[in-house]
Amino acid sequence: MPGALLALFFLHAPLLVLALFSFNAGRFTVWEGFSLRWYAEAWQDARLVEAAGNSLLIAAAATAAATAAGTLCAWGLWKRESRVLMLGMSLSLVTPEIVTGVALLALFQWLFRFGGFRLGLHTVILAHASFCLAFVVLVVLARLRTMDAALEEAAMDLGATEWQAFRRVTLPNLLPAVLSAALLAFTISFDDYVITSLVAGVDTETLPMVLYAMARRGGSPVVNAISTAVVFLLGAGILAAEALRKPE
Amino acid sequence: MRRRSLLFFPALSGLAGCLRPRRPRLNVFNWSNYTARETLPRFERETGIRVRLGTYESNEEMLARVFSGNSGWDVVFPSNYFIGPMRELGLLARLDHRRLGRLGLLEPRFAQPAWDRGLEVCVPLYWGSSGILANPRLAPAPARYADLWELRYARRITMLDDPAEVYGAALLKLGLPLNASRPEHLQRAHAEAMLQKPLLRAYLNAEARDLMAAGELAACQTWATTAQQAISAAPHLKFIYPAEGFALYADCGAILRESKRKDLAHLFLDYLLRADVAAEIAAGTWTATAVAAARQLLPPAVQAMETLFPGEATMQRGQWFEPLPPAAQRLRDRLWTKLKSS
Amino acid sequence: MKSRLRTLALAPAAALLAASVGFPFVILAAYAFLSRGAYGGVMPPWTLENWQRLADPLYAGILARSFVVAAVSTALCLVAGFPLALFLARAGRRKNLLLALVMLPFWTSLLVRTYAWMFLLRDTGLVNTILLRAGLTSEPLPLLYNWGAVVLGLVYAHLPFMVLPLYAALERQEPHLLEAAADLGAGEWQAFWRVTLPLAAPGIRAGVLLVFIPCLGAFLIPDLLGGGKTILAGTLIQNQFTASRDWPFGSAVSLALMAAVLVLLWLEVRRRKEPLL
Repeated sequence: MPGALLALFFLHAPLLVLALFSFNAGRFTVWEGFSLRWYAEAWQDARLVEAAGNSLLIAAAATAAATAAGTLCAWGLWKRESRVLMLGMSLSLVTPEIVTGVALLALFQWLFRFGGFRLGLHTVILAHASFCLAFVVLVVLARLRTMDAALEEAAMDLGATEWQAFRRVTLPNLLPAVLSAALLAFTISFDDYVITSLVAGVDTETLPMVLYAMARRGGSPVVNAISTAVVFLLGAGILAAEALRKPE
Repeated sequence: MRRRSLLFFPALSGLAGCLRPRRPRLNVFNWSNYTARETLPRFERETGIRVRLGTYESNEEMLARVFSGNSGWDVVFPSNYFIGPMRELGLLARLDHRRLGRLGLLEPRFAQPAWDRGLEVCVPLYWGSSGILANPRLAPAPARYADLWELRYARRITMLDDPAEVYGAALLKLGLPLNASRPEHLQRAHAEAMLQKPLLRAYLNAEARDLMAAGELAACQTWATTAQQAISAAPHLKFIYPAEGFALYADCGAILRESKRKDLAHLFLDYLLRADVAAEIAAGTWTATAVAAARQLLPPAVQAMETLFPGEATMQRGQWFEPLPPAAQRLRDRLWTKLKSS
Repeated sequence: MKSRLRTLALAPAAALLAASVGFPFVILAAYAFLSRGAYGGVMPPWTLENWQRLADPLYAGILARSFVVAAVSTALCLVAGFPLALFLARAGRRKNLLLALVMLPFWTSLLVRTYAWMFLLRDTGLVNTILLRAGLTSEPLPLLYNWGAVVLGLVYAHLPFMVLPLYAALERQEPHLLEAAADLGAGEWQAFWRVTLPLAAPGIRAGVLLVFIPCLGAFLIPDLLGGGKTILAGTLIQNQFTASRDWPFGSAVSLALMAAVLVLLWLEVRRRKEPLL
């Protein structure tokens, strides 16, 4: 328990620092008094708000796609091995981000030469779903391996189809793992900079891209403000969702 | 159920996009610190053209994105030493001077610059230098790059995280030209850099500014515009143009050959040459403008800033960055890797 | 009927993988044998030069160092993440909420969080200020721009990758089995070793994989927290694809790194005689 508390504090320390300095009246990391000016500035920055919206949209779509495809894939792999897919997953995990990004860019440009498409929201979502997939499979499969395959077989012996057995027997037990995987996928997608910056079109700026530019230049506190605001909004959203949900 | 509804909104917004009437559009890819608050809104009001601004932090990042020739950007701002390579790669469009009426407003030194004699592919707009920012309260301020090799500064100095700047400083210390490309010169500069590394706290770019303002560093190699930002927050800091010489760079507006909106792009570049527009950017972002008429519009305090507008005597010591020949570039990259991993 | 459903289940994933792994891998393999154009880009002639260059001890040293740093970070991440995962798994009704709250800090940009750590660790940062005020030290400790800071940053950034798989494996089953173990007379430590740990094994394997590999390829954190004073594999590869514009060499280094990891994975799978994922 004390170990967990220490870990929790360790997790949130930077966030607290961020939040603290988002209220700093001064520009640099020397405290100069309380102020909301950076929040005002962030809100008025249309580019920032649009980028945040893009990030949320992309993360939601990519998470949905990756979680759905990944859960089904993990289930299929649990029933019977597939060397090829395992290798594919391993390669996906093992490839450095910059390499995935450059390669996906090359792929898209090949396609665009024949199809006339442009880089845009769709390419980013596709890219994100692709690299989140292996993470989802890994987490869900880890959980599946602690479960007994005999249960599904028993259900099928009792007359259920394979799909029904999956949905009614395995999936309910699997939901916490699926939720973890979805959370992981969302986090990875929301925070991704390298791959997104390479495959994003002119119109698809995401929050990490904007923040990266601002922070690398020497950190305007607007960065702190928008980061704190995003986390606060997401946290409030989750708390609200939890309050509305019926407890187990 | 939840998943299906998530697809609804992108579809709807896509549809809405098709229905909206189309204003002409321009995609501008710029450094993050060259746009003042009113720069784009004013342009949009006066011309009715919608501007989409994307930003980058390094020339290499920009090149990686426009390299393929179908990036979607219209206007980019390469540094002067990238103009040559980009031109050879066929990425830049020829400028039509008839559409750039305000070229005459440029300072004389930028009317026929070494990297583009006839301003055929670029318009110099912003320029700056790199040198030493010092905190006289912590230690006597260095006057030359050679001082940054002194033991008394151990752990209290940083250099820029850029091979061109670090090796540049070493070359200048050795009395060699900034853009030296002979292998033996680069090896000597590398040996100097290796000697210096144990004294450094780190190789930092803009992060050094915070450390200087907080009083943790005695000196750092940094750009003049970054130094001015630090000085504005901590007036006791001083910027020094090293006695051996210093590096100069200029960021120029250019139009990509792939652009399908070249006439709009010319309009934008001409707009940036306007005295009031350029002055607003210079004052708002602490950068030196290449537009002479704009410089006169600046408040006297800004015009007097040595960091932005060094005097003629100082400028004699400055050397403009030039692109290295490919073989020298590769050698320098390899040496940089060796330096970093030692 | 049986295999058709399974095939259908595998299809979307297979398609995504073909696009994001298969094709890129082929491209990469091709690039690694091509040459760099004068100012960047990839073009003929085909050559082995990139691989010859890799043989230089400079690059082998970089790769070796990266493996060590990644291994240390992964081990520490496991030590830090396990109690947290246990705590979450035993949390009862509100565990979903707690899980999301644990993930909350990771919805800020990695860069921004890393800057926050830099602020905490530097000479005038919060940690040193507290130590000085409390009289525990007389001079600021150099906490930043060294290996310790890099490892700290890596552990921090990859904690959720360790916690989530562990949590997924431990959740729900563990409390009941622990009760059973207690009923059978096992002490708390014994119950941990013989019930909890083996149960968490697939989660541990998954977590270690998900942390070790990204740590190998990390470049932002080592760069920022290490003060740019060192080059690890991730930075090396990143540089080749951006600043140096030497895509063929970057491809060769990437393939070498990926091959090294795959070999390690394969050896582990063979030793364990169990499937990997």
